[in-house]
Amino acid sequence: MFQQFAASEIEIHVGAGTLFHIGNFPVTNSMLTQLLSLVLMFVAFGYVVSKVKKRKYNRFVGLAQWAFEGMLGQVYDVVPDKAVARKIAPLALSIFFVMLFGYWMSVLPGLDSIKWNGVPVLRAVNADLNFTFAVAIIVFFTVQYLALRAHGPIGSLKRYFRNPIKDPIGSFEGILEFIGEFSRYAALSVRMFGNAFAGEILLVILAVLTGFVSVIALPPFMAFELFIGFVQAYVFFILTVIFTSLAIESHGDHHDQITSRDHSPADSHNKTAASTE
Amino acid sequence: MTNLFTQFATTEKASGDIFTSLGIDGQMLLFQVVAFLILVFILSKFVFPPLMKAVDDRQEAIEAGTKAAEAAEKKAEEAQEELAKLLKEARAEAKEIVATAKDEANAMIATSEEKAKSRAEKIVKDAHEQLEKDVIAARKALHNDMIELVALATEKVVGNAVSKDIDKKIIADAVKENA
Repeated sequence: MFQQFAASEIEIHVGAGTLFHIGNFPVTNSMLTQLLSLVLMFVAFGYVVSKVKKRKYNRFVGLAQWAFEGMLGQVYDVVPDKAVARKIAPLALSIFFVMLFGYWMSVLPGLDSIKWNGVPVLRAVNADLNFTFAVAIIVFFTVQYLALRAHGPIGSLKRYFRNPIKDPIGSFEGILEFIGEFSRYAALSVRMFGNAFAGEILLVILAVLTGFVSVIALPPFMAFELFIGFVQAYVFFILTVIFTSLAIESHGDHHDQITSRDHSPADSHNKTAASTE
Repeated sequence: MTNLFTQFATTEKASGDIFTSLGIDGQMLLFQVVAFLILVFILSKFVFPPLMKAVDDRQEAIEAGTKAAEAAEKKAEEAQEELAKLLKEARAEAKEIVATAKDEANAMIATSEEKAKSRAEKIVKDAHEQLEKDVIAARKALHNDMIELVALATEKVVGNAVSKDIDKKIIADAVKENA
């Protein structure tokens, strides 16, 4: 079996493969699959939006509407400032749906077998670091912009650089925050890439290992991939929202919130106790 | 570390930095950034607003429904109060009507009694008068009959010796004496 595995010569490419060039610009397999995922996404959205506008609901439209409403509700729940939540919601929701459809392309049949000039034609866009990195960069700049709007230039700098003599712990915390600002976006992009890439490799290896039995063996793993795709898209979405929430929340606000949270239940309890007495 | 990646990426360029090994390319990265920004613009311009509007509409409809329910409850309470007030008024009115009716009935009964009494008295009076008239008439008839009877008797006793005028005078005297 292992000989068979070795004989099939699975080629694993970390980067996306170039299919052809338009001028000097390389068109990769991940871009082509992304285009397919976007077409599917726009068809689905077009259908849902047209039905919603006509107020004709069916199960699919209801499901899409429910998912959309749930995600929107979460943005409003996580980001305390409603105006900021309204600004970040389109980006966060776009990330979720684009990532979801992109990831789900990895379960398309012929993942490694359909080739063009020796390069697999299908490759989920989420398994291309260029894409996940690009989205993480956009999120990074958006969050920084919103933080700048919320705190001003000096306030934003104070998130990272504080006087080490006055506030030594805060100063250290600031340095950690500064490093964390880069590591969390690197982690955000690499997490999505790693899951999608590993998922594709898993399916390819399973297909090779099981041979003709793969007809039965692959579907459960494909279903699992669909589920992981949903989870990863959701993680990317919710982390975007959480990063925004953390960035616009100042140190003072945070402290206030903690103290108010700590005191309010006790206070309310005392108040109720006093009122009952 | 780099060796590990380059080992995986066997078909990529054998030498190069970590980004090249991972397939990260500046040109592609820029393309993806621009493409994603355009995508976000299209989605937030054409796809999300109608969906957000639908969410807002539903929220508004729910709020309007809650408000309407509250208003209906308030209206029902007001109607209940109004009903109670009307019922109270109606009861008071009914009581008044019954009292008035009782008074009127009493007055009517009193009037009827009065009328009946006066009528009865009148009937009794009329009867008395009639009786008196009858008695007088009977007496008169008796008187006439008696005169005729005495005339006959006298005629039988005396025969035709006495004239008719004397006869009548005798009878009248006799009757007077008898009376």
